[in-house]
Amino acid sequence: MEPLKQQSPESEQAAPELSPHQPMASPQVLPLQPERRKAPRTWETPPAPVPPPHLDDYQSIVGPAVLDELRFLAREVKARTLKMVNSTAVGGGVAEMLNRLVPLLSELDVTTHWDVITGGNDFFEVTKAFHNALHGSDYELTRHAQEIFLMYNEQNRQRMQFSEDVVVIHDPQPAALIRARAETQARWVWRCHIDLSNPHPQVWGFLRPFVEQYDAAIFSSQSFARQLPIPQYLFYPCIDPLSEKNKELDDSLVQKVCDEFGVDRSRPIVTQVSRFDRLKDPVGVVQAFKLARKYVDCQLVLAGGGASDDPEGALVLKEVREAAGNDPDIVILDLPPWCALEINALQRASTLIVQKSIKEGFGLTVTEALWKGKPTIAGAVGGIPNQIIHKLTGMLVHSVEGCAYQIRYLLTHPEFAAQLGRNGREHVKENFLITTNVRRWLLLLRRWV
Amino acid sequence: MSSAAAATPQRAPARPFYFNTSAHLLRITTYRADTLAELLDALRECPEDSIFQHTFRTLQEHHFIREGFSNDFAHWVLSACNEPKLAERLASVDVREFTSVAELRERFVQIVDSYLQPSPGTAQRPAEETFYFCASDIVIMPTSFVANTMQEFAEGLRHVSVHSIHHHFIEARLRLKLMSNDFSQWLHEDVGLTEPARALNRIDIYTATLEDVRRQMVRIVERALT
Repeated sequence: MEPLKQQSPESEQAAPELSPHQPMASPQVLPLQPERRKAPRTWETPPAPVPPPHLDDYQSIVGPAVLDELRFLAREVKARTLKMVNSTAVGGGVAEMLNRLVPLLSELDVTTHWDVITGGNDFFEVTKAFHNALHGSDYELTRHAQEIFLMYNEQNRQRMQFSEDVVVIHDPQPAALIRARAETQARWVWRCHIDLSNPHPQVWGFLRPFVEQYDAAIFSSQSFARQLPIPQYLFYPCIDPLSEKNKELDDSLVQKVCDEFGVDRSRPIVTQVSRFDRLKDPVGVVQAFKLARKYVDCQLVLAGGGASDDPEGALVLKEVREAAGNDPDIVILDLPPWCALEINALQRASTLIVQKSIKEGFGLTVTEALWKGKPTIAGAVGGIPNQIIHKLTGMLVHSVEGCAYQIRYLLTHPEFAAQLGRNGREHVKENFLITTNVRRWLLLLRRWV
Repeated sequence: MSSAAAATPQRAPARPFYFNTSAHLLRITTYRADTLAELLDALRECPEDSIFQHTFRTLQEHHFIREGFSNDFAHWVLSACNEPKLAERLASVDVREFTSVAELRERFVQIVDSYLQPSPGTAQRPAEETFYFCASDIVIMPTSFVANTMQEFAEGLRHVSVHSIHHHFIEARLRLKLMSNDFSQWLHEDVGLTEPARALNRIDIYTATLEDVRRQMVRIVERALT
């Protein structure tokens, strides 16, 4: 990534130091500069972590009745203990979710421990390859790869204690820890966050015997599941409405971020937030935008990351810049992963959000957009149709042309667009918030009381 | 005061109304459909709690939608099979006309079967996406609201979650085995308010959100109080 603090002298004058973690008390609306910064100002290092919220902090969002339900369900499973095991403590959606879920369950007196498996580079190379293969990529599963996978799982099995009542293993990396089951009294659950709808047969054939030994499996979408002889549950991924990426923002901060990035709030803004990855089709978004703009005035913001630490990401970013050309209405932002507040502000400033993925996991950027009440246009792939009910909570598209048409339609039918936004937010409130996820875990635990 | 309410004697409730609510754990079953023929087979064979999930329960999951959402089968037939006529027929099935899931299943089977009989080719045409049959495990819970008076009843209606409204107003008929709901039953049997009970039972759940339904109920109860 380019050093983001580098700025031209003009830009230093144009915008005073932005503190993304403290909204300015008195907003200063700055005139747009004729030339945008190539390297907008953001922090080079992650901000200090914010302490996780308490259950009561969610009351103003979900209402007291929902929290009462959680407390009632928790009473029945009080004193039960739970262990979560995954492969990373920071970074990635699973760690982000566990960072919020574990304290909330513990606050409800369901003592929840969180352990992270360890492994060498060779282990994580193998599990990364497994991950891609389970998503359908080509892979040659060697005996050596299997041995590495099993050896590190065995090391972790010997290192870890499993004295809890329920052990939840997240994703394939630690799946073979199930071999500790015979030594425990625990119920074992495999929480699979990835799409298994079209897995590499050899890799799935290798993992499946482990999965079948669990008491239950949990998937993020019904379409991600496999036919298994154990009960399977559907837990949608969730967002935290109080996180930096989703909390309400003072409009002055939204304005500051737009000024900083050269986005004009007086004109319609169409935004896609995603890594620079071909599966997110950012070039297709540029093409759709250009088609739509023949008929409606608008700007395009492509905000994401992944170009600094991923050679393919850098290549995709280059392609996107080439597709955009010198178009002054296209703003391309390569942001570091800790710019959650800036992403939040850009989403809130947007008139429409697009997520034109060609392949997708659950698509939490869609959830984030819906939560902010934004009319959303998204590819009908992965878990997106769970979130976008066509014409009711958003618009599903299958092509560049379809995406262009929906941009035109929603920008010229603001009342319909606003209704989609309202429905979308309610859909998230009912189904995809962290509080709903806590309820699902309590309901599952209750089955084994 | 409405003439209907004025004609009905109001008394102290014979029994309190306990507001409960329900929570649901979603299971993914092994039944799925890639064609209308497979949908028909699965409709015949899937567990009853799958039929419940895709009809009664989906109304709760999508309680905020005022128009165009009826049940998951109708939605899939339209969006994945592009069969608007069949979708319309399936969408017209009002869950409140059924007091058992078995009857409801039979109705869906009958509609799909009669649609496919004259056009077997349609039955085998692949859908754009698979329909996955899910199922609900239900947990019923008390809330902190108990109504010993009509005022407390109105207060409860204003403040319980929409899940509680759904539980008493929509799911209730499967429990009661009556074309009614818990609220109307209580108003009729324990308070003697027959007309408000009927008015409440006539509220249309398919053209209103559950919040709209709640507002209509509160209005009916408030009118009965004046």
